[in-house]
Amino acid sequence: MVKIYINDREIEVKEGTTVFHAALDAGIPIPHFCYHPAFAPEGTCRMCLVEVEGMPKLELACSLQIREGMKIFTQNERVREARRGVLEFLLAEHPLDCPICDQAGDCKLQDYYEEYGLFDSRFSEVKDKRGKKIRLGKYLLHDQERCVLCRRCVRFLREVTGTGEMGVFERGGHTKVDTYEEGQQVDNNYSGNLAQLCPVGAITDTDFRFQTRSWFLEAGESICPLCSRGCRITIQAHRGFARFKLPKRVYRIKAVDDPLVNGPWICDKGRYGYSYLDENRATRILKKGESSPDWQEAIDWLSASILRLKHRNRLERVSVVLSSRLSNEELFLAKKLFKDDLGVGRVFFADAPPEEGDDMLLTPDRVPNTRGARELGWEDVPVDMEALNRETDLLLMFGPDFENAHSLSDILGCFEQIETTVLLTPFDGSLSSQVDLLLPTTPVAEKAGSLTNIDGVLRNFQPALPALGHSRAEWSLLIDLGKALDLRFQYYSRLSSPEAVFQEMTGEIPFFEKNVE
Amino acid sequence: MIKQFGYFLEIVKGSLITTRHFVVNMFFHILNLVGIKTKRKGAVTRQYPEAPIEVARRHRSLHRLMLREDGKPRCVVCMLCATVCPSECIFIEATEDPDPEIQKYPSNFIIDLNRCCFCGFCVEACPEDAIRMDTGEVELARYSRGDLVYDLEKLTG
Amino acid sequence: MSDILILLIKIVAALVWFLVLTLYLTWLERKESAIMQDRIGANRADFFGIRVIGLFQPFADAIKMMFKEDFTPTFSRRFIHNLAPFVAFFFTAVTVQAIPFGDVLRVGGKEIKLQVLDIDVGILFILAMLSFTVYGVLLSGWASNSRWTLLGGLRGTAQLVSYEVALGLSLIGLVMVFPSLRFSSIVNYQGELLFGWLPQWGILLQPLGFIVFLFASLAESERVPFDLPEGESEIVGFFTEYSGLKWGLYMFTSFMKVLLIACLLTTLFFGGYHVPWLNPDGFHFPWGGEWLLPHGIVVLFQIIMFNVKVIFFCWLQILIRWTYPRFRYDQLMDFGWKFLVPLSVINIVATAIVMTLLK
Repeated sequence: MVKIYINDREIEVKEGTTVFHAALDAGIPIPHFCYHPAFAPEGTCRMCLVEVEGMPKLELACSLQIREGMKIFTQNERVREARRGVLEFLLAEHPLDCPICDQAGDCKLQDYYEEYGLFDSRFSEVKDKRGKKIRLGKYLLHDQERCVLCRRCVRFLREVTGTGEMGVFERGGHTKVDTYEEGQQVDNNYSGNLAQLCPVGAITDTDFRFQTRSWFLEAGESICPLCSRGCRITIQAHRGFARFKLPKRVYRIKAVDDPLVNGPWICDKGRYGYSYLDENRATRILKKGESSPDWQEAIDWLSASILRLKHRNRLERVSVVLSSRLSNEELFLAKKLFKDDLGVGRVFFADAPPEEGDDMLLTPDRVPNTRGARELGWEDVPVDMEALNRETDLLLMFGPDFENAHSLSDILGCFEQIETTVLLTPFDGSLSSQVDLLLPTTPVAEKAGSLTNIDGVLRNFQPALPALGHSRAEWSLLIDLGKALDLRFQYYSRLSSPEAVFQEMTGEIPFFEKNVE
Repeated sequence: MIKQFGYFLEIVKGSLITTRHFVVNMFFHILNLVGIKTKRKGAVTRQYPEAPIEVARRHRSLHRLMLREDGKPRCVVCMLCATVCPSECIFIEATEDPDPEIQKYPSNFIIDLNRCCFCGFCVEACPEDAIRMDTGEVELARYSRGDLVYDLEKLTG
Repeated sequence: MSDILILLIKIVAALVWFLVLTLYLTWLERKESAIMQDRIGANRADFFGIRVIGLFQPFADAIKMMFKEDFTPTFSRRFIHNLAPFVAFFFTAVTVQAIPFGDVLRVGGKEIKLQVLDIDVGILFILAMLSFTVYGVLLSGWASNSRWTLLGGLRGTAQLVSYEVALGLSLIGLVMVFPSLRFSSIVNYQGELLFGWLPQWGILLQPLGFIVFLFASLAESERVPFDLPEGESEIVGFFTEYSGLKWGLYMFTSFMKVLLIACLLTTLFFGGYHVPWLNPDGFHFPWGGEWLLPHGIVVLFQIIMFNVKVIFFCWLQILIRWTYPRFRYDQLMDFGWKFLVPLSVINIVATAIVMTLLK
């Protein structure tokens, strides 16, 4: 450990770190454009200048290694003056089109100008015209006028994706970032990260373009459920206006740095595939096609149906179709309830069919919790339509994947033999009106729990959005069903939250015990 | 007793005041009635609908959206007005403009005057001087709420 | 036969005069209060586009009241509830028949008194009729079956009954001076001259009696300084549960009382229809001048004089109503019982002493 002083404060830091990280750990952020923890320090933006005692010039915080007894000043007048100078030169060519720039509100240049600048421009010259609204990829637009030449995008494309479509051209005041070939497109699955990387509005999403302004959005952290990588994301949703109905809640998804899972990146599939959160959602309880708002009644009806079979000793004719979209807790509760307490006849798993993954983040699974299901002892038994047809009186289906995997006529043909069919799904489909009971549930973004990713990394999540309509999280449903069945009332009453269920899980299954964060 | 006499005096004084007002006002009313013009009038009342009151130049009245020289609205949908609006009565929808210098223009701009409190914050916030409250229009009574929801066409027209 | 016809004409004429003047009293009140307060007052009611300084306003009001919903509360005593405003209205309207509008009119050898009921007990008749109006207050308050209107009715009754004492006592001095209860005699006594030049009006002989009568009668009319039975803006009063035309009747009754009080003040204290120094054959001025007039003109002068005096007192009452704030209830009772009643007793005693000394 090394002792240094930042703004006359004594701080102990690990040897070998940079001034930037030492200050960040001490809670002193240093302004920067070009530095990004995923890349080696580049030192092009000159925004992170700090004063170090004994050094004649200001030093770059991002690349300066700390030494014993170093005295660093990050906020004195000399440093602020230098930053103001940097900003003035950046703004000399920066178009002040913040009103139409989608980065406004998230923009580092705006923030630093508020903090260090607040000057009137001294440049009376006409600003250079450069390329605006250049199509850079399926989801990207490039505006060269707004660029501050931090080269984050260039480095990302060279170091992370390895495709290297972009580079820096010309020199001096004419320097610009551009693609090597005219009209070249960044078309890999990670292009969306460029928009998130860009500290200003030079590279922006077409998906978010002009949809709303960033300060209307409220962010909530969650886990991307679209593949079994389980990337950590933040879901940015509009809180809505009092009088005007907005077409959707979720406007944008951004990556959150999680070194063990996804690093600072996410793929475009997860970034732009959020429409499922607002579209085609099941929001109402449907009993034989009729809407009813009463959850208790629905659960009582379901438990009564199960108990009727139990009294006739026909529980082996109950089938359950589970889904790997469920969280660890829910799969655990399902195991307790259906296997241990009820002993139902058959448990199947219906998951979305695997698709092609890539060698970076995207995995072939299109459901988030295959690994968790395996660790919990569930076997991946595909749905046996024949068995359903012949040996089932009551069918409980979780998730939308069962109905997606089979044609409606097959499913309906199968249902003819089944007395009671119950569907628990967040999404509205053609099956919704065909089942005896539809219980609207929540996707990952609207509930709490934990997921195990493909590498066995366990991650907790909290609701990032409020549950839509009458929908409810599956874990609470399963607990209520357990209580209503009155098999082990005490046991299910104790499990009042996902945390309590997780506690129970860690006691029983060693995998989760060693994974406790 | 003296105190009560004091009250009595005040009562008399009070009625003298009202009598004075009556007599003086009546005098001017009669002068006006027989056609003699006087500077002073018998009443301070303004006969409003017949004689409309000029609103002050800086009075905050009905909004209007300013236009560019080519007739497009000046608004660039920065939504600062919708952000600052305390009654959340402004709703704007943005569309892509083919001109890369403009880029963004409103396809719909709704001000719900039912909710508007005429604070003028939208005018203060606008960076483009696209919205003003200087029409002098203050008679905003309508027979239905829907008529008070002003859209882009009504606001520019 | 012709006597009965003349009587009928007289009755109808007096009633029409009374009602029309009352109707315009509402207009007068609006206009006068407006002018006092630097406003213009009601001037919008138009009749085919003609607006004559709001003169059509009373008709507009009446039409509005007619078409308003006539609401009777559930659980009210429906019959009495409907009856009460008519009681108040009738007993007030009937009083006008005792008021003399002028002296005798001679038409073709016939002598017609310009007064409907020239009875011996004129003053008592009017006091009695006024006492009956208390029933209007009491019954409406009770029949509405609301505790607030009941309380309002009780307040009103207590006030009316209390001030009737002072009202009656204040007139005793007058009756002692002009030894008659008959209105026509009292007016004629006032036509005589004191010291040969001063009209012998009631106010000169009975100044104290006039003050007591003025205040007591204001209280009887239940208007602003004394509007405790029904203070429109603050106090829930006895006719709160009335609407439409029945409410209008109460309002109308209250204005009729104003007019009635103006008539009584004129008749009892200001010489009634007498114009100073106007004798049946014309003016005889005390400084020796003479201006002889035909009989018809004299009667016309008298009627005009009576109306001018009445309208002046209406104006005065409205002025008072729009100038002063309301009494508190205990102050009201104190004022009636501890001030006006003793004052009127003092007035009686003083009058008696003076009359004895002057005899």
